Amino acid sequence: MGGLIQLGPLQLATATLLIVAAGVVSFALRLGIERRLGVAALRTTLQLGLLGLILERVFALSNPWLVFLLLVLMTVFAAREAVSRSSRRYRGILIDAWLTMAASCFLVGGIVTQVVVGVKPWYDPQYVIPLLGMILGNSLTGISLCLDRFMDHLETRAAEVELRVAFGATRSEALSTPLRDAVRTGMIPIINSMAAAGIVSLPGMMTGQILAGSPPLQAVAYQIVVMFMIAAAVASGAMLVVLLAGRRFMGSDAILRLDRLRAVGPPKA
Amino acid sequence: MAAFLECGPFSARDGEGRVLFESTSLALDSGQFVTLEGASGSGKSTLLRHVTALERTTAAERSLGGASYREASLPEWRKRVTLIAQDAPMLPGSVRDNLIFPFAQRAGRSIEFAEAEAARRMSAVGLESLPFDRDVRTISGGERHRLALLRGLLWDPPVLVTDEPLAGLDPDTAARCFELLERFARRPGRLLLCALHDPDLNQRADLRLRLAGKRLEVV
Repeated sequence: MGGLIQLGPLQLATATLLIVAAGVVSFALRLGIERRLGVAALRTTLQLGLLGLILERVFALSNPWLVFLLLVLMTVFAAREAVSRSSRRYRGILIDAWLTMAASCFLVGGIVTQVVVGVKPWYDPQYVIPLLGMILGNSLTGISLCLDRFMDHLETRAAEVELRVAFGATRSEALSTPLRDAVRTGMIPIINSMAAAGIVSLPGMMTGQILAGSPPLQAVAYQIVVMFMIAAAVASGAMLVVLLAGRRFMGSDAILRLDRLRAVGPPKA
Repeated sequence: MAAFLECGPFSARDGEGRVLFESTSLALDSGQFVTLEGASGSGKSTLLRHVTALERTTAAERSLGGASYREASLPEWRKRVTLIAQDAPMLPGSVRDNLIFPFAQRAGRSIEFAEAEAARRMSAVGLESLPFDRDVRTISGGERHRLALLRGLLWDPPVLVTDEPLAGLDPDTAARCFELLERFARRPGRLLLCALHDPDLNQRADLRLRLAGKRLEVV
């Protein structure tokens, strides 16, 4: 681990000039996003600062229960964020999103940390927390895209869904097209980032490991594991979340319940 | 003795909460051409959607030929009591995809799609010049309506429920389609329930129902 340059308050203060520069651009071009930029920068600083303090503490204590509690909390926040990005809601959307996050992330995360990487002890926070965090961060994008698309499909193409139902389709037959459409949409970002990895973009985690002094090939190996892990988590998460959501919009009687859908304004960027 | 088709009671309100119909039930014998009349906005489409179990009901019972259907068996009901919706919805794909899809679903897998018969019937509804591989997005509204009607006739369920099937058709084509519907209906074990507001054609129905004043009456 040679050559890791420490960042102190002075370096961070210098970096702040960059965000100020972005603000100046917004002001000069009258983009009107200075406020949002400022709030976002402040949130980044506070949230990451808080996370750093928590992680320092968790790493120091290295208590399995504390690690587990933190992971559960992370799934709750991820579920909330996934739901808040969607332009439509239904009763129980938060529970569905949370169940999906918890199930797909613990399953895929468990396989990766325990089988692929072989973390010892199983809860070693240095591995478990960042890996789970990455799965959650990416699943949340996939799941929110997927849910949004699913509800959009049911609403805008209700006539097609009901046409199938009118000719005796069962619930699974009636929902199969919306489901496939939604899962495909949810998978697009991770497929794109896998295809572009290393050519267009240097993935963030790999960059971080290299900055921290890892040999590049080791960083690459981790990045590949992470990409595959994210793809598996997004695929299983997307499928699970629309299966859960599908049950809310159609029972075994195959009646489409659009009355359970409500719009909540344009999606958050 | 119980009628061939029995369903209800149905109640529904419109978007503003105004009552369209209340505790309305249907009991119809087979081999009949039944029309449903009523002013626009009186709830005809909604009633047909209730009959074909596309709307949620709390107390409704449904029976056909003595067998009753509820909850998880409603897909079976719709297989037998099939709606041709007013706006003639289509699935993305070709004319052929749209005619054949019911036969690819579980409900229709045991029934064979007779392509030659389908081609013959295309000309019966005046669609002889419409190729099977045409993308349905490129066909006209009138063609779409006739295609939807043909799909229902090829599906040939015991009870066909159609909502304004002749809307937007020229008088000649409308007359031909009407005859096809009549021929469908007047067979044993078949029934046609059709929302229609053509004063002349309605005269030819075996039974005329009207939805007015929140209830269903025989004309």
